[in-house]
Amino acid sequence: MTVLSVTGLKVRYSAKGPEILKGIDFEVKSDDFLAIIGPSGAGKSTLIRAVNRLVEPTAGEIILLDHNVCDLNAKQLRELRRNVGMIFQEFNLINRMSVMDNVLSGRLGYTGNMRSLFRMFPKEDVDQALYYLDRVGLSDHINKRADELSGGQRQRVGIARALMQRPKLLLLDEPTSALDPKISREVMGLIRDIARELKVPALCNIHDVQLAKEFCNRIIGMQDGYKKFDGATETLKDSDLEEIYAMEVL
Amino acid sequence: MFLTIQNPQGVASQLDLRRKRLTKMTLIWGGIILFIAWCVSGTIIQDTDWSRIGGRNGVLAGISRYFWLDLNLLPELIIPTLETFMMACVGTVLGCFFSLPVAWLGAANVTPSKTILYPLGRFLMVLSRSVHEIVWALIFVSAVGLGALPGILAIAMRSVGFISKITAEAIENIDAKPVEAIRAVGGNQFQVMYYGILPQIYPVVLATVIFEWDINIRRSAVMGLVGAGGLGLLFFRQMNSFNYGGVSMVILAILLLIVLGEVISHYLRKAVI
Repeated sequence: MTVLSVTGLKVRYSAKGPEILKGIDFEVKSDDFLAIIGPSGAGKSTLIRAVNRLVEPTAGEIILLDHNVCDLNAKQLRELRRNVGMIFQEFNLINRMSVMDNVLSGRLGYTGNMRSLFRMFPKEDVDQALYYLDRVGLSDHINKRADELSGGQRQRVGIARALMQRPKLLLLDEPTSALDPKISREVMGLIRDIARELKVPALCNIHDVQLAKEFCNRIIGMQDGYKKFDGATETLKDSDLEEIYAMEVL
Repeated sequence: MFLTIQNPQGVASQLDLRRKRLTKMTLIWGGIILFIAWCVSGTIIQDTDWSRIGGRNGVLAGISRYFWLDLNLLPELIIPTLETFMMACVGTVLGCFFSLPVAWLGAANVTPSKTILYPLGRFLMVLSRSVHEIVWALIFVSAVGLGALPGILAIAMRSVGFISKITAEAIENIDAKPVEAIRAVGGNQFQVMYYGILPQIYPVVLATVIFEWDINIRRSAVMGLVGAGGLGLLFFRQMNSFNYGGVSMVILAILLLIVLGEVISHYLRKAVI
């Protein structure tokens, strides 16, 4: 089953600015753990943000969970975003809030303004938050402020927050680039295990090819706004990598 | 012994440059001195009633009238002092409420409309600060009559400028990453502000509000000069009845109140930061 299908996606940030994505097509199936690799500036982050319209597409079509993302109004878009968990390179936590409040903020899409004002989340949300905090190994840090944690721990908070949404798709934007190699492997392993457990497909930007090969079943290679490779991980050859990472000759 | 210059033309041009700079400096400083002299002549020399001062002793006598305290005034001081303090507190809180929408309009990254509402927000900030608190008080006294209420409104209006400007700047300087995260989970505009922006600006805003409260105690003390309640009113009455000891008493009360405010805000600020 196809969860996400993107056709002819183009993005430019301003009318006169350069085109960042120059017509991208791909699909994410319900059992995919899909890696997007490519050099810096290839448009990986832009691509992942266009999926839930944190970045506005200029042209093309995005069908996500049977909705045409580009046609949604603000309210419909918020409702769709609730189904898409996102994990960020710099964790994007609320530093001055506790770990618990950060995790609970994953439920904000389902929480009314009055409840959000007093941070009064329903009991089942709190129970679920405790469960996921335990699952990612942070039971002892629930009441700490987010900025008291180490990088790896912060990313685990980010993972728990994304899971709180009971997502139908995970968007991972370089989830390990701010972490050291050992922690990176642990975090990727955790995300993959949980994604399998919950049967959630994932779309993952990653510049570390080794990690991509190790954890992902399919790989998309990008270069300068174009898709250069799309196939199962086993079919990625060194020559493909050379092409993706080729220096641009001006 | 003669020192021979290897590059006479180069040296000459350097000397020329040096001379030009010196001339420029002389002209600038000369201009400043002339300007100040002109100001002094216009204000102090021509605008002072020299005949009324009546020599050195006259000035000293005028000042020495204040060097005693009218202790009989003490019971009458307590309520206005309290009122002054309360006016400062309520005025600051009210000012915070007014500041929120102004900061929202006047912060470039969250304003609902960059072309109309952003300049409006910026204009309100300037308006609040460019009108003196006494002038605000005069306006509100004529609007709502005498008493503490016009004083509170005046203090609130005068506080908006500084609080909203600092708040708007704090909003403009926030880290966009938590905001992105709250948008990504499907949060609405209010949740983005409350979870994404507020925790980041909270310490700066709180420190600013404490600072403003400290200043507002001073402002509140003079509100009564135009009939807007507090110690100022008492001050005005003592002055009008030529009871200079009473005036000193009021000034002492103001001084004590301000010292108290200074001490409290010092500890509050420590607690926040």
